[in-house]
Amino acid sequence: MIQSKVYIQVKKLYFTYPDGTQALKDINLEIVKNEFIALIGQNGSGKTTLSKCLNGLYKPTSGDVLVDGLNSKDSSILQMVRRVGYVFQNPDHQLFNNTCWDEIAYGPRNIQLPKDEVKERVEEAIQVVGLPRIYHHEHPFFLSKGLRQRVAIASILALRPEVIIVDEPTTGQDARQSREIMDFLKSLNEEHEHTIIIITHDMPIVGQYARRVIAMANAQIIVDGSTADVFTQADMLRKTFLAPPQITQLAQSVGELGFNPGTLTVDEMTGQFFKLTN
Amino acid sequence: MSKVIEINDYSWKYINTRSPALKKINLSIEEGSFVGIIGPNGSGKTTLAYSMDGLIPGQYNGIKHGTVNVFGKEVEDYKTGELQRLAGVVFSDPESQFTAMTVEDELVFGMENIGLSIPEIRERLDWVTELTDLKHLLEKPPYEISGGQKQRVALAAVLAMMPKLLILDEPTSMLDPVSRVRIFDVLAKIKAEKKSTIIVIEHSLEDLVPLADRMVLISDSELLLEDETHAFFEKTQFLLEKGVFPPGVIRFFHELRQRESFNGKYPLTLSEASASLRQLMKS
Repeated sequence: MIQSKVYIQVKKLYFTYPDGTQALKDINLEIVKNEFIALIGQNGSGKTTLSKCLNGLYKPTSGDVLVDGLNSKDSSILQMVRRVGYVFQNPDHQLFNNTCWDEIAYGPRNIQLPKDEVKERVEEAIQVVGLPRIYHHEHPFFLSKGLRQRVAIASILALRPEVIIVDEPTTGQDARQSREIMDFLKSLNEEHEHTIIIITHDMPIVGQYARRVIAMANAQIIVDGSTADVFTQADMLRKTFLAPPQITQLAQSVGELGFNPGTLTVDEMTGQFFKLTN
Repeated sequence: MSKVIEINDYSWKYINTRSPALKKINLSIEEGSFVGIIGPNGSGKTTLAYSMDGLIPGQYNGIKHGTVNVFGKEVEDYKTGELQRLAGVVFSDPESQFTAMTVEDELVFGMENIGLSIPEIRERLDWVTELTDLKHLLEKPPYEISGGQKQRVALAAVLAMMPKLLILDEPTSMLDPVSRVRIFDVLAKIKAEKKSTIIVIEHSLEDLVPLADRMVLISDSELLLEDETHAFFEKTQFLLEKGVFPPGVIRFFHELRQRESFNGKYPLTLSEASASLRQLMKS
């Protein structure tokens, strides 16, 4: 048996906002170290609320969120954010310092690390995200959105969390930028062994990068499984108002020809075509 | 068909930048057509949209060469606000266009501004809130609703003005797939009514391509490709080199053609693709 350590455990989690809106209902979830998960669902389905429960920003109305053995109810936000980092959908909602360097150093300074260690962590984070030196002392708002997002991710990395949640990493990015950001998250997952959770509406991106998909609708988890399994459950997906990537739909529409309904990328589809026609 | 837009040798340089945002653009758009504009971020797409609405040169400092003619008149020759009645722009950042304290006020503001009667305003408000599914949000402040809802409000506010030219700058960037399909359904309805010419700037091409009559590629401030949609995607190799990713089904058939296993036309929609693939596997 493969030894896998459950890092996050969510048990019977309910969350209700002060205005009475029930945002999460009976959420049960286990997340193992080094997973690459896509959290999908319609706008307003509870994805962002769940993420904020996972990093301790929100405390459960009832039920429990356990991260690395710590119950979020009994833990400070500082303890939680060192384990689960959340990168906002709009990096501008997160960036507020006058230079990129200060932005990235903010977290480590806030948890009162010694100066040397702050410096070490900032430099490490800058190296991982590949922020060119000329920008280190630039105001973040003079950077492109792609670069601002990297600064936002670096500021989270500097706290060295096990889990990194990125809310809509490719929104507003063009095809090449989206790929760059996703390849970067992939390297964090594969080379640096971070657990990655992306919240996204971009199904081709999900098909290409995520190994597990959690689909939410109306404050609940509707499907949770491997990416190929989830995308083959067309009926379930329709309930969450989602559709698999176009290439997956093509494979499913010609299933009688022998294509795998769990085909996730154009490359997989092409490979099957040549196998089937040879 | 008469031309809604005629752009000739048009270049624009913002006053504070070194290189031009647009270089020697030539483009004409026919009345009633649906045009998709694509290209990498920072390539000049939004500048082009602003130029067609008269925001450039009106609201920005810069240097202009060439001409931009909209509805038969140079954009500079319109009085303030006159062109904006004919042409409506939905911006990619919906927050930048909100001014009111409730969604309803936001939608009514523009209509009041152009002096519509109260019954007319009521009628259009009903029509547009139905079309964009906003009835339940009318009382809410625009800053309290989700990103996707904000984009629908921004679109509705412009639609309510019933512009003859509708320009949408990444109208679905924040939307989930269903809300995105809903926006494109709205655009399909407006296209079918043939009352407006529609120009859409988008990165997500799967929903855009089936509706577009013509496609335009802008890259590095230049117009590199402009053609009828089928012919445009015949140049998929070129598009890929320019960092544009055509929809999955087109890329799949492109792979097949690269390996000499397909020599037909690229399908633009899922159903066309299924049919082509069945045909291909039969032979």
